[in-house]
Amino acid sequence: MSLQTLRVLEAFLEQPTRELAGADLAKRGQLASGTLYPILLRLEAAGWFVSRWESVDPAHVGRPRRRLYRLTPGGLARASEVFASFGQGVIA
Amino acid sequence: MTAHEEADLAQRLLVHAARKAPGALAARLEEEWLADLQTRRGGFARWRLALGCCWATAVIARELRAPQLATSGAPRALLGELRQELPGLSRRSLVLLVSAAVQALLLYGFASGFAHRVVRALPVVSHVEFLEDKAAPRPVPPPLAHPKLLSVPLIDLAYPMPQLDLPRDDTSVTQVREVLAPPKPIPPHAVNRVAGGPGKEFPQTADFYPETSRRLEETGAAHVQVCVDTHGRLTADPVIARSSGSRRLDAAALDLARAGSGHYVPTTEDGAAVNACFAYRIRFELN
Repeated sequence: MSLQTLRVLEAFLEQPTRELAGADLAKRGQLASGTLYPILLRLEAAGWFVSRWESVDPAHVGRPRRRLYRLTPGGLARASEVFASFGQGVIA
Repeated sequence: MTAHEEADLAQRLLVHAARKAPGALAARLEEEWLADLQTRRGGFARWRLALGCCWATAVIARELRAPQLATSGAPRALLGELRQELPGLSRRSLVLLVSAAVQALLLYGFASGFAHRVVRALPVVSHVEFLEDKAAPRPVPPPLAHPKLLSVPLIDLAYPMPQLDLPRDDTSVTQVREVLAPPKPIPPHAVNRVAGGPGKEFPQTADFYPETSRRLEETGAAHVQVCVDTHGRLTADPVIARSSGSRRLDAAALDLARAGSGHYVPTTEDGAAVNACFAYRIRFELN
């Protein structure tokens, strides 16, 4: 598992029930879009994440809808296992 | 190219990248990335996102087409994408093409002034400090003369003393010493001279910071000597009294000094404006 993937998971593990958009994750993990979005799609395809569209009307808010990602229970358990195997303070 | 045009171009590049994604992902990624684009502030951040999305599309397409190559890395994914569209080119040619395209993009960025705008966003801290007026030093009063001390050799008056009808004096030896009082100093005429300098309406240093120096993060302080009349106007072309170490910054300092003609505060003597020359420091500094 790459360091960038660990950073994405770390952002979710801070509040496992929270939904995060790609822009939030890019900011928290200091990740470039070219790295972040393939990771999100990869983990979603693997069942670690689920995603949904933000419940807003784009015409009303004046911007496109954000795609929100959330850890699945299985993803949470596996991410926790990964971090437990490394111990704390792995991600610099 | 204006900032609006740059943002529009970045958005078009992003949409183009999203539409290159396979199948139903195209529409999803387009909306998702456009939402992400809305959160980015500044042309550089938008361009970075758009270029990253191009990269992401190549990686995603590669992984979906050949999952077994998912761990092969983005450069190979991108090259594989391009090779499918340009089957006549070898891998080496593609590498050269991509390298040339990146360099052309960088050159365009510098030539079109895009990089200038990025650098201009950095705050510029400028200082103007006053130096002592070296051209017309204040009159220094002459040094005071040391008190003149004259001594008379000791005179032994013990033998024989004429009997005079004087009051008795028990002293056998008298020392006579004449000490001249120090001369009264002549008070010099103290002129209250206040050196001139840049006034309130003086042009901003930041407006004269050379663009090349900004890009190169070149900083320094030049000492400029100017001669100014009683109305704050230059009476002679300013000169560099001490170089900043950079010809560009020295030239900019002279331009600033010339542009400030009419906005100088003249030198005053006892409150009255006089024609005078003085030097001041112009500092070009990026914070």
